[in-house]
Formats: sequence, C-alpha cells, structure tokens
Amino acid sequence: MKHIKFSFFGLLLIGITALSLMTACKKDNQTEQEFITKIVVHLSGAGFDKEFVWQDRDGDGGAAPLIDTISIPANVQLSASLHVFDESQTPVADVTEEIKAENTAHLFVYKNSVAGLTISDLNTDNNGKPFGLESKWTTTTVSSGLVEILLHHEPTDKTAAEPGGEIDFDVAFPVKVR
Amino acid sequence: MLYNIARLFGACLLCAYTCANLRAQDCHLALRGHIIDADTKEPLAYASIIIKDARKGTTSDENGYFSIPNLCESTPYTVDLSHVECAHSTQIVKLTENQEVNFQLKHNAALHEVIVSEKAVALQSTQAENVVAHADLEASKGVNLGETLKKLPGVSILSTGATISKPVIQGLHSNRIAIINNGVALEGQQWGSEHAPEIDPFTADKISVVKGAAGVRYGVGAIGGAVVLEPAVLREKTGVGGWLALGGFSNGYGGVASGSVDWHLPGRSLTFRLQGTAKRSGNLKAPDYWLGNTGVSELNGSFRAGWKSAHWQHEIGVTAFDQKLGILRASHIGNLTDLLRAIDSPVPLNNPDSFSYKINRPFQSAQHFVLKYKAEFRISEKWKFSSQYSGQFNNRREYDVVRQSSSAAIENKPQLSFRLWTNTLDLALEHFPIHHWQGGVGVQAIQQYNLVGRGGLIPDYESYGGSVWAMERWRRYPLPLEFEAGVRYDYRQTHAVTSGTLHNIDTLVHYGNASGTLGAIYHISKNITASLNSGYAWRPPNINELFARGVHHGAGTYEEGNRNLRPEQAWNTNLNLQFEAPQWQNLSGQITVYRNYIRDFIYLDPQKTFVLTSRGAFPAYFYKQSNAVLKGLDGSFSLDLIDHLSFEGRISLLRAFRLADGDSTETSSQKAHDWLPLMPSDRYQYGLKWTFGGKNHDLKAAESGKENSFIRLSAGTTLRQTRIPADGLLKDAPSTYTTFSFDAGHTFMLHGKQLEVGLNIQNLTNVRYREYLNFFRYYTDEPGFSAAVRAKLIFG
Repeated sequence: MKHIKFSFFGLLLIGITALSLMTACKKDNQTEQEFITKIVVHLSGAGFDKEFVWQDRDGDGGAAPLIDTISIPANVQLSASLHVFDESQTPVADVTEEIKAENTAHLFVYKNSVAGLTISDLNTDNNGKPFGLESKWTTTTVSSGLVEILLHHEPTDKTAAEPGGEIDFDVAFPVKVR
Repeated sequence: MLYNIARLFGACLLCAYTCANLRAQDCHLALRGHIIDADTKEPLAYASIIIKDARKGTTSDENGYFSIPNLCESTPYTVDLSHVECAHSTQIVKLTENQEVNFQLKHNAALHEVIVSEKAVALQSTQAENVVAHADLEASKGVNLGETLKKLPGVSILSTGATISKPVIQGLHSNRIAIINNGVALEGQQWGSEHAPEIDPFTADKISVVKGAAGVRYGVGAIGGAVVLEPAVLREKTGVGGWLALGGFSNGYGGVASGSVDWHLPGRSLTFRLQGTAKRSGNLKAPDYWLGNTGVSELNGSFRAGWKSAHWQHEIGVTAFDQKLGILRASHIGNLTDLLRAIDSPVPLNNPDSFSYKINRPFQSAQHFVLKYKAEFRISEKWKFSSQYSGQFNNRREYDVVRQSSSAAIENKPQLSFRLWTNTLDLALEHFPIHHWQGGVGVQAIQQYNLVGRGGLIPDYESYGGSVWAMERWRRYPLPLEFEAGVRYDYRQTHAVTSGTLHNIDTLVHYGNASGTLGAIYHISKNITASLNSGYAWRPPNINELFARGVHHGAGTYEEGNRNLRPEQAWNTNLNLQFEAPQWQNLSGQITVYRNYIRDFIYLDPQKTFVLTSRGAFPAYFYKQSNAVLKGLDGSFSLDLIDHLSFEGRISLLRAFRLADGDSTETSSQKAHDWLPLMPSDRYQYGLKWTFGGKNHDLKAAESGKENSFIRLSAGTTLRQTRIPADGLLKDAPSTYTTFSFDAGHTFMLHGKQLEVGLNIQNLTNVRYREYLNFFRYYTDEPGFSAAVRAKLIFG
C-alpha cells in the first residue's frame, strides 16, 4: 500500500511538471497587435513644406483624436507623401516602410470634397497598379472641405470604385485652400 | 450493475420507479422493513431497496426503516438491497398481508470500490433541472457542448458563426452561469461571447442543466444556473473496460474519434482511466455557399485515477484540451463601412467559396489544462470530510487578419492573447441524515492570475476570493415534503493593471455578498411532484465590464467599461412540475415557470454617439446597469400515440426586459421598459419517435438511461425575435424558421460487446435561415444539411 501511495505522489508530481512545461513552452506568445495612432501628410513644393497630423495617442476612445487642418495656398502643385505610425510601441514604430514593402497588398484611397483641390498621380505598386502612398495635390480656387484618406488591405480590385478588402485606417482632414 | 446504478442516480431514479404503472389486482399491500448491518447489528441508513418486478424502490431512513406501498398480493417480488458500504443482496418476498421484514446486509471488506460519494447523497434538486437524454448526448458529443445542450427546454446557444457556441440558460450565459466539469468550475475567458467553453463532451457520462440562481451550490456568478458534467464512475470490478467511439459528419467532411480505457488493478482498490478525443473538420456549407475558413481541429486527453483505503478515498485527474477554431473569413471587417457593406450583401463578402480543411486567419486557439486532486475522509457513519484542490491554466490566443500577416517575423503571432491561471481549494464537512437533516458546510479559496498580451481588450489582473457556505435538507420518509435551505458568503478582490502605452489602469476593486437558496419538493401523488425554489445570488462585474475600452470588430461597435459598476444581484423563483400519467397514453413531462429579477443588471447601452478612431467612427456602447426581469416558461412532454409510437414536444418561452432607471418594481414601470438585447426568442420542438422492442427491453439498459432502438423525426420552430431593444440594432432580427432533423439509434451485442450505432441528420430539408443568437447573422446563413453517423463499442 505504501508503495502505491508513493507512486501516486510521483504521478501527481509528473502531472504538475507536465502542466508547467506546457505553460513554459508557450511563454513566447507575445502578441503582435498594431495600432495606427498617427498619420502624417507631408506636402511640399512651390516653396511650401509642411506636415499635417492626425493623431490619437491613447488609441480608440478616451481623449478625442487631434486633427490638423490642412491649410495650403491656392494655385500651386504640391507633392504629397504619407507617413503612418504606431505609437503604442516603444520605440514608436514607423509602419510606412512595411506598407511600402507590401505595396501590392495595399491601396491608399483619397476621397476629396474640396472644390479647389485635385488629388492625382497616385504612385503605383510593383505590379503597376495604384498604390497611393505618394500623390500630387493641385489647388486652384479658394475653397474648403474634407479629404478622407483610407488604407485598404488586400483590396479585391485596386482600380474599382469600391476596392474592397479591409480598411486599416480611415481618417478625414479638414482642408482649406487659401 | 443495478447496485451501482441505484447508488449513482440515488433518489432521482427511485422516484422514477415509484411512478410506474400498476395493473388492476389487489395491490394495496405495503412492504415495510428494517435493514441492519449483519455484523454490527446496527441499522443501515440510506440503503437502496428496489423491487424490479414492480418497478418500485425507496431508500431506508436514518434508522434503517423503509416502506414500499401499493404492492400486490401473493406475487413473488425480487427485492434488491444495496448500501454504499455493503455487499449487494437479493431476496424473494411474497406478501399476503402488510408485512414487516428484517433484512441484514454484510459488510464486504474484499470489495475495494471507488465510490464518488457525493453521488450517493445526490438528491432530487429543488431547482428546475434537465438531464440530456442518452441518445441526444451520444449524437451531439462530436459537435460541441453548446450543441449537446440545445435540445433541453429553456436552454439555447449563443454562437459566433458555426464553430463557436456557448450555452444560454433561460436567457443568461457567459459569466452568469457556471460550467462544472467533474466537480471543477471551468475558469476561462468566459466573459467573451465569442469564447466557447473549453470542454470535451466525451469526458461526460451525464450532462445536466440546473436552471435559476445557483450561487450557493456553484459559487459566485451562477445567477442564471449551471451546466454540470459528470464523468462515468471509475471501474469498480477488477479488469479492463472501456469504449471506443467514432463519428463522421457530412457537412464539413469531419471526423471524430474518442476512446476511454479503465483499468482496475487486481487485488487493489486502484483504478486508472485514460481517455482521449481527436477531431477534425473542414469548411461547413450553408445551403447556397461554403462558409470559408470554418474548419475545426481538436485534440483532448484526460487521465484519472482513484483509490481508497479504510476511511480514505482519493481521486486525481488531469485534463488537457487543445482546440483550433477557424472563424468565417467574411466576418472580418475593418470599419463600420465594411460592416454595413457586409450586412447589405446577400452573400458573404471576401468568402473563399470552396471546401478546405485548412484553417487560416482569422482563427482562435484555446488550450485548457486542469489538475484536480480530491480526498475524502469518512469520519464516522454519519460524517464525511472532503477536500479538493484544482489548478487550471487557460491559454487563449486569437489570430486576426492583419495588415502585416505576410511578413515572416509576425506570421505566427496572435493579435490577442489571454493566459489565466486559477487555483482553487475546497473543504467540506458533510453529513448523512441526522434527525432527518442532511447537508454540510464548507469553505472555498480561489486565486487567479490573468495575463493579457499587448493590445488586449482587458487589463492584466490578480484576484483573490474566499467563500463559506452551509446547506441543509430535511426529509422525513414517508412524508411527501422535502425542504432545502442554503446560505453562502463570497468575497472577491481584483487588482487590475495595464502597462501598455495607450492607456493605463492600476485599480483595486473588491466585492462581498451573501447568497441564499430556499426550496421545497412536494410529492403530490406517486406520479406528480412539484418543487419550488427561490434563490438569491450575485455576480461581481467582470473585468471587461469594468475596464474594456475598444472597438469590438465583429459587432462594429466601440465598447467602454465603467469601473463604478456595482455587483448584479439576482432573485430567482422557479416552480417546477413533473408528472407521469400512465393511464393517459403514458403522458409524462415537466414544466417550469420562472421569474428572475436582477438588480443592477449590466448591459451594453447604445449611446447614439460615435467615437472617432483611426478606422473611422464607430457607434458607442457603454456598460451600464439597471434593474431587469427575465421570466418565462419551459416545458417538455411525451405522449404515446399508438404502440411504439410517441409524440414529443418541448417549449421555451422568455420575456426579458429592463426596468426604467431607479425602478425596482415591474408593475410601476411597464411603460418605461425596454427589451434586453440578444435574448432567445420563443422556440418549439416537436417530434415523432418510433421505439423498437419496447416491452421486452433489457431493464439494465433502461436503468442506465440508454434507450432502445429508435427512429425519430423532429422539427424545431424558432420564432422571429420581435422583442429587441429600440436602439442599437444594425439589422432586424432574422425571420421565423423551422428546421427538421432525423435521428436513429440501435444497440446490439457483438461477440459479447455492446455496440451502439446511430444516424443523425440536421437541417434535413437544407433550409436557408439565420438565427438571432448568432453574431454572424450579419454575414451568413446557418449551415445546411448535415448527416452524422456514429458507432460506439463498449467493452469489458
């Protein structure tokens, strides 16, 4: 009887060890979660060089996002480039490079309601399809409105009006053409 | 075998016996008797006395006396006597007049049996309770726990697509119910509606659902009831025995294999059990399209051992559960625009409309490990002390479709990870009837540690709790009344911390509250039993209700917790009537009416505002609380139409609404109420069952709940849920639907081994429908036609 009892405690020990081993094996399960908290529109050309920022430092909810008004002169042609950041990580992660590396799986879409602004010449991906990280902003008359910038991931058709896929970000900047 | 079974099912089964039919004859005699220990000459309390031929039985009272009324004159009866500590005895008795007989039972020292003692004292519940029928249990074990339970009246399932489902008892689910597997309360991330319970139904031999506030018995949180899974008792005879079950499903081309082996060591009171289940299935198919990425893979195993010495009885158990669940690809959305587009589309968007076994992102992986050790010490004839330790580790990871998923460095990384460690210690002192009172007192200590990966919806936390309870029951045979009363006090303290860079939490919350239960059973006649139970239970706010902050992508809502929430307090009353009328076409059934008043019911309140995020604006939902009432009726019945053919029916009705703020009475605020979201709509099930070999069936099989060969055609109608909150629903509840199912089962002997085979067809007519309680009703139809075959070989 004593012998049996001993072997059982041994068994119990094996059980506990197995349990903790299983736990140990999974120790490396650090999650990989991206939070896009900052989108920068860099506009330059014709003696103009300025960055406009959409930023939600504390993530969804909490404090409302801070959004710059894009204020640009009339009758100019500017080059626009976007920069995307995840500030939930330390150091802050610049997501732009990753998006650039996977340019065929991404598409930036601009929805423009400003009368005196035309957004054109989206740069293309490795397959020659639209990508949109860089673009050309041409202003004419004094006007104001909104420019909504969306990042589509794995769009089904990059040239369609509704490119499909999932939306990674969807932000709107107020725009003033002076 | 009879001996074990009688002990196992205790009073419940005996009650069933007394409900049996009797033929016209002079059958008014009673057998009265006294049972004593053959060695000590002491009376034996709680011995089982069963008369097979008359289908009657009872148990002896604390002084060893019993009485079985309504026996027939000059008929030889075989009286089976059994007692937990004694050898089984059979005697033939012929009655000519009301007689008192003395029986002697011998202690059997050579019989080293492993007895799960609480089963010997398991009494009929004063609360409404339903047990899953054997055939239904066997037919649905291969699917999942939710599927196993949904045929019970008052039970429905809340699902997230076709792969994730969890039980809903009378409208309440998740943290409002307890799931008890082999005496251990499952501790996982149950707060999430898309987190299915980590349970392998193949480990269970009996699954029952206790309805209504069950806080005293099952601990803090069980304000809606409990799902109780009990394994088969470990083998008591020397030798090897077990079973092997195989199943195949046409929808998803799935297969499941499960096996269990018991080995009782010769000459020792030691039994081992090794059990395992493996399951694999691919994409399911709705009537019109494949449901892309709905595969499932599962691998579970468990080990148990039990042994006993003079006064001690020990049991250890280790359970491992590992599951990977594919989530419908079309359900992944980025923002509200995506969601609205998905809702408007008649077919799922981004749906790989083909069959595949491959499980891609999005998917969930859940692992659950349990280590349990239980020791019982028999202090005396009357008293028993038991202690149980359980350790659990729950590891849940959720893999989403992410922008960067193609880059190698993060390919295998989850987006959400939750790891929960739970340690529980239970001590109890229980007694067998003393002056007609039976019950016990106990304490429980619990410690939990929860680690959430970066970006989780809830903070890390560490929690401590303690409970103390007492429960007593009174029955004085042969009085037709039984009473039960119990009280419990629980205390919980939780320290929540996040160290992420987005928003920080460092808060200590603590809650303490009492629970109580009061119940009575009245045996109106031998065929009708009424029970009334009133219970008070509470639930502290969950971690997500306190601290959640973020977008719930499946629902397209922004959800925010509130750290000032108070605990919920539920006061549940249910009246339950069980009846059997052999004279009226063998009519039998059960009906339960209930009312659950919940003070400070926590719910998600639509704010009519939007929260601006980097993915656009989402409608805001805040966790709020107000008083709520859930009331309804569940019932089931069966009726013989002609020989072998019976009609079965089940009904579940529920009305669940919230009272206006500050109102505590239902009547004063009828006008101001709003319906509670996601409550099961009214549902009816009805079917015809053809049973073979009814009359000369093997009694043994009937006793163990196993049914004879049968064919059953049934239909279930779920009405459209019209009682939905005025605000906040993106799409109206789906229409009323009716689905048909077909069932058949047969048991035969194969070289001395029992072989059970079955066929089960779900959605026989391949009907297209959506269910209100499925979050994915926005995206897809429910699965179509599915045929499942199963075989189970029982050996040893």
